[in-house]
Amino acid sequence: MKKNKVLILRTAGTNCDYETQSAFELCGIAVERVHISVLIENKSKIFEYDILVFPGGFSYGDDVASGKVLSNEIKNKLGSEVRKFALSGKPIIGICNGFQVLVKIGLLPDPELFTQVSTFSHNDYNKFECRWVYLKTGNKINNESNCIWTNKLPTIVSLPIAHGEGKFIPKNKSILNSLNKNNQIVFRYSSKDGNIPRYPLDPNGSVDNIAGICNKKGNVFGLMPHPERYIFHMQHPSRKNFTGKNHGWGKIIFQNAVDFVNR
Amino acid sequence: MFKIEVFTKEKFKNSKGELVLSDILSIGVRTILKVRYSPLYVIDGNVNYSEVRTLASELLSDKITETYVCKKCIVEDTVKNSKRDVVFFDDGEIPPPVGVCSTIKIWYKKNVTDPVSESILKAIKDLGIVKEFKVKRVGKYYLYGKISRITLHNITAKLLVNTLIQEYMVNGIYS
Repeated sequence: MKKNKVLILRTAGTNCDYETQSAFELCGIAVERVHISVLIENKSKIFEYDILVFPGGFSYGDDVASGKVLSNEIKNKLGSEVRKFALSGKPIIGICNGFQVLVKIGLLPDPELFTQVSTFSHNDYNKFECRWVYLKTGNKINNESNCIWTNKLPTIVSLPIAHGEGKFIPKNKSILNSLNKNNQIVFRYSSKDGNIPRYPLDPNGSVDNIAGICNKKGNVFGLMPHPERYIFHMQHPSRKNFTGKNHGWGKIIFQNAVDFVNR
Repeated sequence: MFKIEVFTKEKFKNSKGELVLSDILSIGVRTILKVRYSPLYVIDGNVNYSEVRTLASELLSDKITETYVCKKCIVEDTVKNSKRDVVFFDDGEIPPPVGVCSTIKIWYKKNVTDPVSESILKAIKDLGIVKEFKVKRVGKYYLYGKISRITLHNITAKLLVNTLIQEYMVNGIYS
């Protein structure tokens, strides 16, 4: 029987790959961290894997703009393979810097289009924001999200963020409308009780409080918060158990993808 | 040689400019009303206009929040080989936005590594442009509101430049 495997793509400046590996391994799946140069040398290797991860960090020092140099490299050297992977329906996740890369290569919001239609800019308060935030989950906003990554999450979850360029900006109103219409906005920053947040609960001024989106099919998911930093309930600053088990909300996100590929 | 200057579109926040404005206010200068930051890239080598346009649109600017201006410039060999590279960054041919009173340009001295320029060279190769050339990066600050020449130099020296590794040039309509 074929054993499912996760590919964590790393490069200069990646710094969340080990935690993400641990998170997936705790969900019972094999993980390999592969440098982008290795993948460029052997492009078809990508299809040996069942889940593709763009982890957090500061790829290439976030020079020019966050994720710009890495997205340029992927688009020009691995573009067709990554797009094919996404269109095959296999799960892809981009966390923080990885989300910025997915948006800048055009894999989000629509891998078929594969064109950049949204971007990120500096946080509204011109500061690097590193703390815990509340998120309203898309499943509960419309009960219709196709996102395979966010099943079984309650209305409000909390996860940590750490970014300086996290303000999500769609190109125009019609892109935003289409994200809403297709239930692609799966995470929005919110207050503890689910209301529209103000700074500091809204850390960056994202349009429509967007913190995470998926493609229409629901297999490609990008989010600014770091689910890999809330795998055990003791990682939460309150040390309380919100999930009823020993894990945090982050593990549910990874487990959803593992369950999906094991099905 | 080409110059590419990247501007934040007016409807979007210019975060770096806003940060500098708050720093200027914090040292007691009240006559500056607005600051905008624009990165300027000097591309020196055997590249053509179409390649420079590709660099500007695909790599150096953001399609949604930014716009850019590309200009070709001719520099005498004697200037290219001089010890100081001030003339490289005298971008008089790219007009400043309307209402700007002063500009400050800051760049790394010769022989000081600019890591961003190194990343840009790598990214240019990824774009498929495999040629020998150099990239130099200049930080440009546009100041709205009149100040004296001394104050402009003070702002630059106190807030923006590290003269050990950087050089700067200021221009302005002084009060």
